[in-house]
Amino acid sequence: MRIVLDRPRCEGHGLCEEAAPQLMHLDDEGELVLDREEVDGADAALANAAARVCPVAALRVE
Amino acid sequence: MRTPPTSDVDLFADDVVLDPYPVYAELRERGPVVHLPHNDVYALTRYDVVRDALADWESFSSASIAFNPMANEALTGTSLASDPPVHTRLRATLTENLSPRALRGLKAGIDAKADALVAGLVEKGSFEAIDALARAFPLEVVADLIGFTGHVRDNMLRWGQAAMQVLGPMNQRTAENFPVAGELYAWCSQVTAADLAEGSVGRGIFDAEARGAVPANTAGHIIHQYLGAGVDTTIAAIGNIVALFARHPDQLALVRADPALVPAAFNEVLRFWPPINAWGRRATRDVEVDGTLIPAGSQVAVLLGAGNRDPRHYDDPDSFLVARNPVDHLSFGYGPHGCAGQGLARLEAHAVIEALSRRVERLVTAPEVRVPGNTTRSIEELPVLEVIPA
Repeated sequence: MRIVLDRPRCEGHGLCEEAAPQLMHLDDEGELVLDREEVDGADAALANAAARVCPVAALRVE
Repeated sequence: MRTPPTSDVDLFADDVVLDPYPVYAELRERGPVVHLPHNDVYALTRYDVVRDALADWESFSSASIAFNPMANEALTGTSLASDPPVHTRLRATLTENLSPRALRGLKAGIDAKADALVAGLVEKGSFEAIDALARAFPLEVVADLIGFTGHVRDNMLRWGQAAMQVLGPMNQRTAENFPVAGELYAWCSQVTAADLAEGSVGRGIFDAEARGAVPANTAGHIIHQYLGAGVDTTIAAIGNIVALFARHPDQLALVRADPALVPAAFNEVLRFWPPINAWGRRATRDVEVDGTLIPAGSQVAVLLGAGNRDPRHYDDPDSFLVARNPVDHLSFGYGPHGCAGQGLARLEAHAVIEALSRRVERLVTAPEVRVPGNTTRSIEELPVLEVIPA
């Protein structure tokens, strides 16, 4: 599965990083960086959790 | 497709807005969509349909976020009341100075302000928590942020309250508040950079307009949205923090023992008592929700506060439990229109919860006083009779 970020929609609320710090982080400028895009197994569950908590629906897993 | 069940509930009756949760429980049991002829709306009552509708801007337009046509007309052209693609550009302009990344530099100052305010109140030993904390703190933060001075600062509270009241149906509260909301609108139509303090975010928005980074004549609208949307709701949330911790000293004790629970505690305050319980949308077409029909053109009431108490989504939803950390609560909305000021709201609320949990063991309060409101559900007076300091 693949994590897809709608970059213009991302405002840097950072809730995804709290849900899945292994997969993504906010950089020093507050921009979201996807450390991994292809995920499976337990990581896919984490990715789904991160997408679920994005308050502006900027992340999805497909 | 079935026709949704109906109910004779008036969502804006005094007793309902004062305590909507028993009525929401009835509506949720009746169905995920309930037609309310009294308000001429289709109410969305369960967590999943509320969240799905907030994400689905193509079926549920923001052209009708208010429950009367005059307010919707007045909001035309704002990001709040627009749909993509127009909304996408307006939103970017609005959040450029409001996103967490834009606000990062403010955290230390906001934390220090909250701590000084709470320290002073703890020392006093008794105080009225709404005026002295819930209103004082966000008014100071937002006024400094936007750079308000003089009479605008004095008017922020009544302007912010009126901007929310007028989103209700055309009842007496809406009628009484239109002239006050009009004062805010008029002021924002003629405000200039020179009216705002140097170095403030408000001044920055005018600089951006002068540079061409923001379309001409939009700076005033942006300031209007900061004031209209960001003041009354934050005041409500901070008042609710104080009241819920006073009522549930065991929950305050959990945060005191583990400060990492501060964000969880704010999520639970918002889930349990959302500042805004009902928000409008309009069905752009015949929409099928869970097998029932919402006809094209219908006014929809998205019951955020009912979704937050849906036992299909949260166990024991009528208990206030900070450890549940309901990070997916509906109180900021969700999706493209998710609250644009939620980053600032979190900074303010986390600062207050941190300061309270560090300095207070328990608060003894008198019963809270509430006044019915169309949009914001907030406490009007909360006397703190005694502080047991940490």
